Amino acid sequence: MKLFEFQAKEAFAENAIPVPKGMVATSMEEVKTALHSIGLPCVIKAQVLSGGRGKAGLIQFAESVEEAQQKAKELFDSKHNVRKLLIEEAVDIARELYLAVTIDPVSATALFIACAEGGVEIEKLAAEQPDKIVSVKVDLDWSFMPHHMREITFGLGLEGEEAKQVGAIAKNLFSVFRKHGAELAEINPLFITKQGSLIAGDGKLIIDDCVSDGKYPLSREYFDTDTEYEAALAGIPYLQFDGDIALMCAGAGLTTTVFDLVHYAGGKVASYLEFGGPNYTRAKDAMQLCLKNPSKVILVVTFGTIARADVMATGLVEAIAELKPAVPIVTCIRGTNEEEAFATLRSIGLEPLYETEDAVQRAVDIAAGRHAL
Amino acid sequence: MSIFIDAATTVEVQGATGKEGSYWLKHMAEMGTRVVFGVTPGKEGQFVENVPVFSSVQRGMKQHPAELAMLFVPPRFTKDAVFEALDAGIKKIVTIAEGVPAHELLQIRRAALSCGAFVIGGNTSGIISPGKGMAGCIPYWIQRVYRKGDIGVMTRSGSLTNEVTAEIVKGGFGVSTLIGVGGDMIPGTRFVELLPMYEKDPETKAVVIIGELGGTMEEEVAEAIEAKVFTKPLVAFVGGRTAPEGKRMGHAGAIVTGGRGSVTGKVKALEKAGAFTAAKPSQVGQLLKEAMARA
Repeated sequence: MKLFEFQAKEAFAENAIPVPKGMVATSMEEVKTALHSIGLPCVIKAQVLSGGRGKAGLIQFAESVEEAQQKAKELFDSKHNVRKLLIEEAVDIARELYLAVTIDPVSATALFIACAEGGVEIEKLAAEQPDKIVSVKVDLDWSFMPHHMREITFGLGLEGEEAKQVGAIAKNLFSVFRKHGAELAEINPLFITKQGSLIAGDGKLIIDDCVSDGKYPLSREYFDTDTEYEAALAGIPYLQFDGDIALMCAGAGLTTTVFDLVHYAGGKVASYLEFGGPNYTRAKDAMQLCLKNPSKVILVVTFGTIARADVMATGLVEAIAELKPAVPIVTCIRGTNEEEAFATLRSIGLEPLYETEDAVQRAVDIAAGRHAL
Repeated sequence: MSIFIDAATTVEVQGATGKEGSYWLKHMAEMGTRVVFGVTPGKEGQFVENVPVFSSVQRGMKQHPAELAMLFVPPRFTKDAVFEALDAGIKKIVTIAEGVPAHELLQIRRAALSCGAFVIGGNTSGIISPGKGMAGCIPYWIQRVYRKGDIGVMTRSGSLTNEVTAEIVKGGFGVSTLIGVGGDMIPGTRFVELLPMYEKDPETKAVVIIGELGGTMEEEVAEAIEAKVFTKPLVAFVGGRTAPEGKRMGHAGAIVTGGRGSVTGKVKALEKAGAFTAAKPSQVGQLLKEAMARA
């Protein structure tokens, strides 16, 4: 789960990583309070999860109260679903660095990535100028040691007080990373101020849902759409798109493949949903989500093993009886006990298809009005 | 022959008396797998399908040495269970649980590497050498999927594996050994680490990999082919060609970020190395024929 900047910075501050003085505002009233407490000049940062906020105009600088209020209002009113602003003191910047710790699945270690040029797109820099990147692996069972710190600071060409501060921040960032079981803890940019102190300009923290322990409960603001939020609460993987074929499939790999096949066949996906694995008995919940947004056809493709075909077919038939979907349903339910599944589907007049690509083609034809029902 | 598991491989099952464990232990044994003991703390003296249960791996190993550990253990106990098997000297471990914290997965893989052991999974349905042995929850009874043959299969997915393997069988082939490395971001064993075993196995004539977007496992396979570590015909199906960047498609490991992990990049690397790539599962059988004819 990716956290908002203000949450990442709270986690940083809890672990002694310096962050600018800041306050979160959810209304113009709170903006006023925040401005009073933070002072001027200030930076107003929209709290959204997408990257590239600077380019999108979601980070603004203000020198007067009027300017700050005007810009805050514009951000709240923008099309970017901005529900919170982080208002921070402006920092006198001399230089910017990049510092992050992530996971390296190959060496099975934590991986520090540092660069003497901050504020950059690190993936791009890594591809184009790999010699500018300092990377240091840390075995989780060894933990962060002084020699790791030296690799980072010498690698960045830092000396004296700056090296000491960056070393301490790296150590503390590793604590944040470990505490939250994080996939990524990133400070980009890490400012060196004109006064020579280091401070986290931005913060990105992707935590492990398995270890977050309810500290960051799901809320609507983490999601692009209402249905994605509802699906997440229900524990059903769901993504919303703007096509007209609703996928109700099982298994991440198979659903992703059906998503591809629909596109190859010239169709467009309305929603991606999988009700396999632990959710295979939840056809009704799955269909309810599928019906939240308009589509012309629901495409059900499964090839289950533990998620038995007969159980999924029965669940689907019950869901249809209860929810009475207005759109046609194309089924390709195979796997364990598939003969029983076929019989169940036929019992309510559904035609059980056997090949995934046939089912995809059927759904695409129906959506395009080419298949007589 | 086959790799990783055959009819002679001795297997112990951790979590043997649980709902999943006892159900699949029965199926593993029915298929012919040599299950020598089960483990559930506090249940020593019981039997599951005539297989004796012990309270720890070490206690079982004293009487019935096992080469492979099969874990039907919930995610929060998985790290301990893997380390218990490693401590008992077992070098092949299969774990199916989904939802093990990423940092624990790092520790598990790191420990396996330093012990010279292989941990297969998590978030997998396991491994099977049809007709010989199975460790996991694989429905070997579905004949149009799990037919014995000479194609090695490595996969990151579950139900997609059924889909693609059915196409292999439809093409007139069968499976030597199928290994599900799992859908997590940090699989205990990577595709490229299994390739040398398939290379050495006389019963494996070609390998099919079932990949997906995210990570670098498919690119590593391409490198191994270029380096001649693997020289047999290889066909790859990689799902998620049309997936939008930044969205996590199902599996934890299936995400494209910063332009890395895209299917286009994977396909390009594999084709450059001389592998055959299928855009659709239905092309896999035909491509296998072509790949094997050219070899």
